Amino acid sequence: MTGRLSQAAVTVILVAAAFGVVALIMGISGYSVTEVFSGSLQGAVTAKGAPSSTVRWAIPLFLIALGVTIGFRAGFFNIGGQGQFYVGACSALAVSLGWRTGPGVLVILLGTLAAMASGAVWSFIPGYLRVRFGTDEVLTTLMMSFIGMLVLQYLTAGPMRNPAGSGQTAASERIPDAYRITGSSGVSLTVLLIVGVTAALIWILLERTRFGLRVDLAGRNATMARWQGINVRRVGLASFVLAGALAGLAGAVELYGPAARLVTGFSPTVGFNAVVVALVGLLSVPGVAAAALFFGGLQSAVLFLPIVSDLPPSALVLLHGTVALLVTIRVRAKRRVAAA
Amino acid sequence: MARWRCPSTRKSEPIDHSVPGERLDESASPREWAVRCEGVSVNFGAVRALHNVCLALEQGRIHALVGQNGAGKTTLARVLAGLQMPDIGEVHILGRPIQGGNVRAAQAAGLAMVHQHFSLPPSFSVAEALELTATKGGGAPIYRRRELERRWLAEVAGSCNVSSLSTRIRDLPVETRQSLEIVRALASDARVLLLDEPTALLTPSATDSLFDRLQILRDTGVTVLVVLHKLREVAAIAETVSVLRDGEMALGPVETATTPQGLISDAIIGEGHYESADVAGQAVATGVGRRTHLLMEEVSSKDSAFERGLKNVNLRIDGGETVGIAGVEGNGQRSLVSAVAGLTRIEGGSIRIGESEAAASSPARRRMLGLRLVPFDRNTEGVSRSASLWLNQSALRLIGRRQGDSPIISTRRYREHARKALERWKVRYESVTQPAGSLSGGNIQRLILSRELSDGTEVLVAAQPTRGLDFAATEFVRRSLGELRSAGAGILLVSSDLDELFELSDRLLVMLGGEVVARFVPPYDRRAVGDAMTGARR
Repeated sequence: MTGRLSQAAVTVILVAAAFGVVALIMGISGYSVTEVFSGSLQGAVTAKGAPSSTVRWAIPLFLIALGVTIGFRAGFFNIGGQGQFYVGACSALAVSLGWRTGPGVLVILLGTLAAMASGAVWSFIPGYLRVRFGTDEVLTTLMMSFIGMLVLQYLTAGPMRNPAGSGQTAASERIPDAYRITGSSGVSLTVLLIVGVTAALIWILLERTRFGLRVDLAGRNATMARWQGINVRRVGLASFVLAGALAGLAGAVELYGPAARLVTGFSPTVGFNAVVVALVGLLSVPGVAAAALFFGGLQSAVLFLPIVSDLPPSALVLLHGTVALLVTIRVRAKRRVAAA
Repeated sequence: MARWRCPSTRKSEPIDHSVPGERLDESASPREWAVRCEGVSVNFGAVRALHNVCLALEQGRIHALVGQNGAGKTTLARVLAGLQMPDIGEVHILGRPIQGGNVRAAQAAGLAMVHQHFSLPPSFSVAEALELTATKGGGAPIYRRRELERRWLAEVAGSCNVSSLSTRIRDLPVETRQSLEIVRALASDARVLLLDEPTALLTPSATDSLFDRLQILRDTGVTVLVVLHKLREVAAIAETVSVLRDGEMALGPVETATTPQGLISDAIIGEGHYESADVAGQAVATGVGRRTHLLMEEVSSKDSAFERGLKNVNLRIDGGETVGIAGVEGNGQRSLVSAVAGLTRIEGGSIRIGESEAAASSPARRRMLGLRLVPFDRNTEGVSRSASLWLNQSALRLIGRRQGDSPIISTRRYREHARKALERWKVRYESVTQPAGSLSGGNIQRLILSRELSDGTEVLVAAQPTRGLDFAATEFVRRSLGELRSAGAGILLVSSDLDELFELSDRLLVMLGGEVVARFVPPYDRRAVGDAMTGARR
């Protein structure tokens, strides 16, 4: 336990260091550091509607990061969350557009399942290539992400384009309110319930089932796991499928929740930010939840800052990148120590 | 009597050994000591690796340094080579002081070290590796491959068996790699050669030729200090022996020829040595009869990247029986173990574990049938070094489906179970949550045994179970295997240590080129077995 605590402490220090670096850069550039940070704090926490905005942005990050966590634990660098998220959202949209007369609960249920299944397929493909042929999953999941973006672009500009739209943006029509689980705020009891139950299930799966322990062993030392009779390929594939399903779920929640329609290139970095969230969260479910709230708060602040002042929101993107850099350095260092 | 006395150590038995010449005096010695250290202490945090070690070794002789795992042998070697800075104490190589853990100073003084884990870069050709790592420089900044190979050919010729200097290091057998390490070490005109456990990875015949080479070097005036594990090897090669125990000099240096082996092994182990886990008291496979526990018929498998596949191997192990597999490494032992474990698919034949045909079964299914494995490499195959002790200990509980299992487990119960098992096997640990990699080699092997010799062992495949372990740990493992056998399990023992095979095996099979070429029953004839291993007799 002390190990976990000290790791968490190091993470907090790293994040604080990132704040320091960003403050330094902004100070040098002539901005008022206190103003930026107080503005950020307002945007993330204290302003009216800020907490719910923070949660709204944390939800997709959290769901995708849970999948990334499973992948990391199993020893794979599945960074294809972005594409899995997109195809999930597209599938959910397809269900709600295809069954316009269906009862709300059924359509949402079916759409969510379709989203999870399609996300899983999107992740299964690189997963299969990895365990069967040893193809580097970093490349394949990234490439699948690009394909997912193009699928979204094609669908929103083609078959699913809103015929009544302005033509300025490639976007689908809005789904009826009956098929939505939140208002535009993105937060409702239903959504919180969905996310909470999912998190609890994933925590139990990872920490309190033999499958979770197999994932842990296989991820740490696949050779040893094979000698112990663990089917490392199956465990690996399962991790890819689960990660895809979670990202797909995030897509469905986004569509049936705050988004209500798909716009090409929406939330363009959520899948990649989720990788950072998983790392900052130290690959534990509660840790990932905390990290997702933190980055959700940042996202919320990014949107809020221009309202209060002429401060550049990119300052916070910079913060985001610095945190990612510091955390990644530590992951690498740890891996090398473990290998030695 | 020429005996250099460390001013600060309590004296152990002074054992007389005569050296030509008069009493050697520090200030006016007729010739310098090859290696001399005084009051060397090294601490790693709270761990005391070396404490007040004094050692003086004469020139032109072969000296052995022995001790258990963790006694400080490697640390002392690293101090001598300037790789480790002592907390206090002085080191002199051929009379020159080596200050502050300075590798270059040690090299300049004439010392070269051959490490336990080979350090030549695997992807380099022989000539490139030697050029890169040798301290004797002088080449142009831009080299031509041919010229490089020509230059190094003279050094390599005669001392090791390399057909071409453009061969990649990784393609060479382990004994050739070691010879190259020695060539590299001596290329800098070293006068003191330090070898850290050079025999750990060598076959008996390769060990013999290594020893021959060391003797030739000694005859040319090189001083050799070799860290060894086996007393038989000490007797075979070393003129003097020094013993480290718990970081202190427990004995020596004393003359090997005039010192009884018992005295040396007592010094190594100290008092109150052997302990044993009560394996016989545990539930082992039911039905302790003369029943066949493992049966392999006409098993064949493909060649792997590392060694030959199996060719029509027949093997039967009954309950209460240990069958030994002897053979020069790389002659199919790994293929055999992989085939039994289900890690590689076999091409033909049948494998029965207990009553069940298992040739098509998954590794997990075989484990459920009672197959237990002590893998070749305990650090990569036996444990996950970064995973916790309890997870490593519980690995076998993670596979297969048992009736009545709840899908949700209690990790607290897993930890409790692991704690009990580790205590029964006398693993030294602090917490079950510490990573397995923090244990010493002997304790890791105990952890593996605590997992594999759990209930329901039908057949245990033990691959090199004592390799690299110290005397006490080796003894512990062998005794555990003996108790498992008495309890009625079948044991397949793969080892490159003939003494171990002779001691433990009820029958002995020799593998050569993926085939079983000879079968022996006790009393074993070392010569005949050796001939079968090398193919001298078929």
